[in-house]
Order: sequence, then C-alpha cells, then structure tokens
Amino acid sequence: MSPLRSAMVWIGGAALIAATAVDTFAVIGRQIGWPLRGSIELVQAAVLVAGSIALIAATLADRHAKVQLIVDRLSPGMRHHVGRFCELMTALFLLCVLAGSAWLAIELWSSSELSEIIGVPWRWMRLFANLSLAIALVVVLRHALRGRPA
Amino acid sequence: MASPEIGLLGVVILLALLLLGLRIGAALGLVGLVGLMVTLGVEPALIKAGVVVIDVLTKYELGTLPLFLLMAQLFFAANASRDLFDAAAKFLGHRRGGLAYAAVAGCAGFGTINGSSLATAATVGMVALPEMRKRGYADTLATGSVAAGGTLGQMIPPSGALIVFGIIAEQSIGTLFTAAIIPGITQMLLYMAVIWIVVRLRPELGPTSERASWAERGKALARIWDMILMIALVIGGIAVGWVSPSEAAAIGATGAFLVAAIRRRLSLAMLRSAFASTLETSGLILLVIIGALIFSVFVSVTGLPDALGAAVRALNLGSFGTLLLIAAFLLLLGSVLDGLALMLLTTPILLPIVGAAGMTPIWFGIFLTRAMEIGFVHPPLGMNLYVIQGVAKDVPINRIFKGVLPFLASDFVHLLLLILFPALTLWLPGWIGN
Repeated sequence: MSPLRSAMVWIGGAALIAATAVDTFAVIGRQIGWPLRGSIELVQAAVLVAGSIALIAATLADRHAKVQLIVDRLSPGMRHHVGRFCELMTALFLLCVLAGSAWLAIELWSSSELSEIIGVPWRWMRLFANLSLAIALVVVLRHALRGRPA
Repeated sequence: MASPEIGLLGVVILLALLLLGLRIGAALGLVGLVGLMVTLGVEPALIKAGVVVIDVLTKYELGTLPLFLLMAQLFFAANASRDLFDAAAKFLGHRRGGLAYAAVAGCAGFGTINGSSLATAATVGMVALPEMRKRGYADTLATGSVAAGGTLGQMIPPSGALIVFGIIAEQSIGTLFTAAIIPGITQMLLYMAVIWIVVRLRPELGPTSERASWAERGKALARIWDMILMIALVIGGIAVGWVSPSEAAAIGATGAFLVAAIRRRLSLAMLRSAFASTLETSGLILLVIIGALIFSVFVSVTGLPDALGAAVRALNLGSFGTLLLIAAFLLLLGSVLDGLALMLLTTPILLPIVGAAGMTPIWFGIFLTRAMEIGFVHPPLGMNLYVIQGVAKDVPINRIFKGVLPFLASDFVHLLLLILFPALTLWLPGWIGN
C-alpha cells in the first residue's frame, strides 16, 4: 500500500473511530444523565469524512458493484472497449455530481453555514466532500485513459 | 416532457448499461441525471445531484452502515466465524447431518455480526467445509448447506441490504431489523428441515460424528459468550428502542474492539486492514445509494410507478395474485441482475404497487431482501455458489448447484409463506411498538 493510500485509510479509519466513540459516549451519557451535546452533528461530520474517503477508496480498489454476467463472456478486445466506455460513463456521472455539489458549495460559501447546536462549519465539510469527488473523478479518468477490461 | 414512456425508456437504458458492466451506482445515477435533464432541465438536475450527494454523505442514519461493517471486520479478525461454527458443531455434530446443521447455525450466528451473504458464505465456508469433508459428508450437502446458509447473512440483522432499503424507501432501519428477525429464524429452521429430510432419505450424505462432552461444549460456549452478549445488546437494543440503529452500530463496533483486544488480536496491521475493507465496502454502497436516489427522483417525476400500478390493477389479480406476479418478476430479474441492482431498480417502481396491494413498505423490504437472497444461490448469477467453489476448488459448480437445489426449494416455500402470512414480518415490530 502506497504511503498516500495508507494515510487515506488511517484518516478514514480515524473518522470511523470518531463516529463510534461519539455515539457510544452519547448512549452512555444519556443513561447516566450527562447527555453529549451535539452528538448527531459530530457524527454527521465524521461520517462525511469517512464516506468521502470511502468513495475514493472503493474507486481506487475498483470495488464498485457491477453486473458481470455478459461482460465475462466477451472477447478480450471487446472487454477492453466496454471497460473504457464504462470508465468514461462513470467519469461523466461523477463530473455531473461534482458540478452540482460544487455549484451549491459556491452559492452557500458566503453564508458561512454552521450546524445548529455546536456550529460545525459546513462549508469546509462541503469543500472536503467536493475535493474527494474530484479525486475519485481523476482516478476514474486515469483508469479510462490507461484502458482496462470491464 | 415527463411521461411514463420516458421513465420506461430510462429503465431499458439502465438495464442495458448494467448488463454492459457499468458500475451500478454510476448507471443508476447517470440514467437518473440525464432523465432529469430531459424532463426538468439541466440546472435542476445538477442541483438535485449536488443536494443528494451531500445529503447522503451527512445522513446520520447512514452512519449505521460503515460502523456495522467495521464491527464485522473486527469480529472477523477475532476469529468469530471459527468459534461460532465450533460451538454449533459441539452441540449438533453427533447427529446425522449435524455438521450441516452447525454450518447453517454458524451462518445465522455470523449473520448477526455481518450483513453480507457473500462474506458469510465465504468465512463460514472456510471453516465448515474442510471439517465436513474430513468427516465424510457428501460434497453436495456440505457445499449446499453453506451456500444456502450464507444467504442468512443478508436477512438476519444487522443487514446491509435492509439498511440500503431503509435509506432508499425512507423507512425506519430499526423497524426493518426487527421485522427481519422472524423471517430470518424461519428461514434458518427451513434450511435445517431440509437437512433433516435429506439425511433421512440418504443417510450416507451426512454421517454422524463423535458426541462432544459437556466440558467441551462449555469451553466452546465460553469462547463466544462475549460475542453473544454484544449481539444481544445490539439487536435487542434496536428492537426495544433503547438505542437507534446508528447508536447500536457504534456500541457494536466498540464491543468488537474490546473483544478483539481481549483476544489479543488487535494490531496496527489488523486495524489498517479492517479500516481499508470497511472504507472500500462503504464507498461501494454509498455510490450505489447516491445513484439510486437520483434515479428514484427521475422515476417518480415521470409517473412510471403510477402508470404501472394502474396497469397491474387493471389485470384484476387481487392482492395475492399481484404479489405473486411481483415475486415472479423479481426472481426473473434477479437471475440477470445482482441483488443490489435488483433492489435499487425495483424499489421506486414496485413500492407503490405493493402499497396498492395492501402491503406496507416494511413488509416489502423483507420480501425484496428474501427475493434478492434467492438470486445468490441460483444460476446464472448465484454468487454464493462461486464463493463456495472458491473455497472448495475441486468441487464442480454443477455439484454445488445440485446440493443447493433442496434449499432453493425451501426458499420458494419461504417466499410464499411471507406472502400468505405477512404477520411473519409485521407481528414483531407491531408487538414491540405496542
């Protein structure tokens, strides 16, 4: 595993541990009369970080779900073309999603969106999500340019 | 420009893209996006996509999924599958076909800490298959019981499929988990009944093993008590409403950390591997959910579900006939599409029709998951069959399929029971709710 990929896994893992810890303390706190204020907002932020990294991780490892029934029966040459087509279609989808998400982020940037209870700065969260989408898009485009069987 | 015909065209294009091998999430999302661009315009379509992606990534309820996946990874590293199978084998192994019962029970046990059919079949298979073959079990019974038993992973809570259905259909994940308990148990009992019948008819397929002493049984139970406690806390906590599914997942992951630490299995390499697997699987499911939500907006904008609902009502099949028709449709489509694609393609279209037939979305979630499971054990897809072949490489795929056939028959009976007796699904959540 490259150092960059390893760092990504540890950051994603840290976000998972953060979500685990916050929700566990929230439950314990509720039972002993010390409720954890803003626990849902904290978990949302942690889940956004973990989820954004997860999108990149699944794309890098090519773990995304596919139906292989017909593709497995194609000739190697045909599989190669179909594979490239699928990568380009995925890139188009990610580009559209990124465009929509970035559009919203730009519109809302000046309003300095904060969460209601503990003030999680949502614009930075949106930025993180958009950067992750952009990285996933680059990964898929690289797959398309290199060409790989479906 | 929105019309049911546009929706139908979208579904046809989606099927073509899926069969071409495009990532399921990207196929759903792309068809949905282009469809929305055609029906509503480019700007609303892009904005909708932007809203959906951030909504999904920040959805508190969706935190359930990665945390349950993390819990499963940690339990897996702590040797949960071996211990669960061993305990079941110590209690049942001396009976004729006993190790096959133990494999099914082990799958059900592993299903309570993991929500995937494939992972359950693979991990229990690695432990149970060599043991059964060493004891002279027929290949057909050994592989069939694990391939079919693996599907319990998808039904018994926590279930990845039910979490995804809950998000897509906007239903309570806790209620879905509670509703799945009785169908999960009855499915397991039906599989055990199949083994009982098979070894009564052909005793040589499942020979008896030596009886374990109570001391050995006690030792086997001592190795799994901590996991049983965690599982009871997680599933029981959700069922009685003590914790939300997200909180239960967090408690489960914390417990799994503790169990792994107590067993001295916690290391940096193990953690990195658990995190990597959890993130990769979460990413797979997140992309699918993002795509499915965009697709479902497109489908509802076109009015396709209403038009199909009217067409089905015009057939005058009645509630039972309509549900049988839907079951046949799902099984047919399930033989060419993988389970997740089947669920995400059909949920927005079939949910209103099922509602018109008098069934609730909770019932449909369980029914759909059950139909998905059947796709895991019948050709041409039958992913569990290939997973088992990966474990028992010398057993030809047609032998594995032959072994799974009696279990497949019981699956059809179970599906029919769910239609005839909706209380199997709806009684427990209603009773606990009261």
